[in-house]
Amino acid sequence: MSHSLALLVAATEPVVRLTPQARILAAILAIAFMLLILDLIRRDKLLERYSIVWFLLGIAMLLGAIFPILLEWLAKAMGVRDVTIALFSVTLLILLALSLNFSVIASRQSKQITRLAQQSAIDGVEGEQPPENESD
Amino acid sequence: MRKLVFIPAWNEEKSIEAVIADAREHVPGADVMVVDDGSTDQTAELARRAGALVASLPFNQGVGAAHQTAYIYALRHRYDICGQLDGDGQHPASEVARLIAEVEAGADLAVGSRFAGNVNPNIPEYRSTFARRTGQRLFSLLVSTSTRQTFTDTTSGMRALSERAMRLFADRYSSEFAEVESLQQAVRAGLVVKEVPVHMLAREHGNSFITPLTSAYYIFKTLIVLLIGQLRPRQVGE
Repeated sequence: MSHSLALLVAATEPVVRLTPQARILAAILAIAFMLLILDLIRRDKLLERYSIVWFLLGIAMLLGAIFPILLEWLAKAMGVRDVTIALFSVTLLILLALSLNFSVIASRQSKQITRLAQQSAIDGVEGEQPPENESD
Repeated sequence: MRKLVFIPAWNEEKSIEAVIADAREHVPGADVMVVDDGSTDQTAELARRAGALVASLPFNQGVGAAHQTAYIYALRHRYDICGQLDGDGQHPASEVARLIAEVEAGADLAVGSRFAGNVNPNIPEYRSTFARRTGQRLFSLLVSTSTRQTFTDTTSGMRALSERAMRLFADRYSSEFAEVESLQQAVRAGLVVKEVPVHMLAREHGNSFITPLTSAYYIFKTLIVLLIGQLRPRQVGE
């Protein structure tokens, strides 16, 4: 009993941290990532409204690299002793949420395209036609 | 009663003229429309020359979107009833005329069933592959269970609809699983749905979009759609 309690206490104190080398690499990648986003917007390949979330992710990545204490807080809050595991879990969840969000957007746009196609088909009907329904 | 008979067609240039002529002959007094679902062949051209109204979708959208196009059109042009038959010649228009009569008699949705009994011994019985029949049996079982009404041919695209049914489907209609899901949708909305035994013919040209290769995947997707359909809030049929 006391043994497992000691483990619980230990779990609140992160023991595996990012090495300085990994932090420098992460900072460089974060900056490169944000530059890429900016370039995509500049070349009209990415709409601003879809870029904001990626930009926020880049900033979060940069902050995590510069202030490792943030990641340690995160690990502590999640109850894991390894900072990298906290990082991976959170990243995975964010990516999962984002891809689900894109599926929702794709579904909505697909529905809109269908409505447009139908409207265009109906407008294009030629020949003798009955009067339009005015109440509609 | 203003009637519209429509024919969803995707690359059916070989059969479309005959189907239009058949519809003209057996459903007198109805306007005939072809919903061309992004055909790349002469379907639209031939249909127009045959004197049918033609609604051309700019690109292939799937059979559900084609049906829905006709419902929206029919409502906008004040049709009271619409009948539908496939563009490949599988559906004799004389049978569609019987479905329209059912709607005139008060049904909201009349569905032609190949498996509800042999109605005319002079026409050879409709044949199907084992995999397809198994899938159809499974759909029938599920739709019948969920609606507490017996359906034997849930994938049938030979139908007739009242204005009320058209309104329901113009609002929401599955693009991929149109036939199966729409039965569940209609019964849940309180519409009067009637299955009528009909004859269908074997395909003369082309292949059904449900090939044995994709049927397993199709069945799986339809199961999910039906399950979700059961959990959806009921639409209100006016």
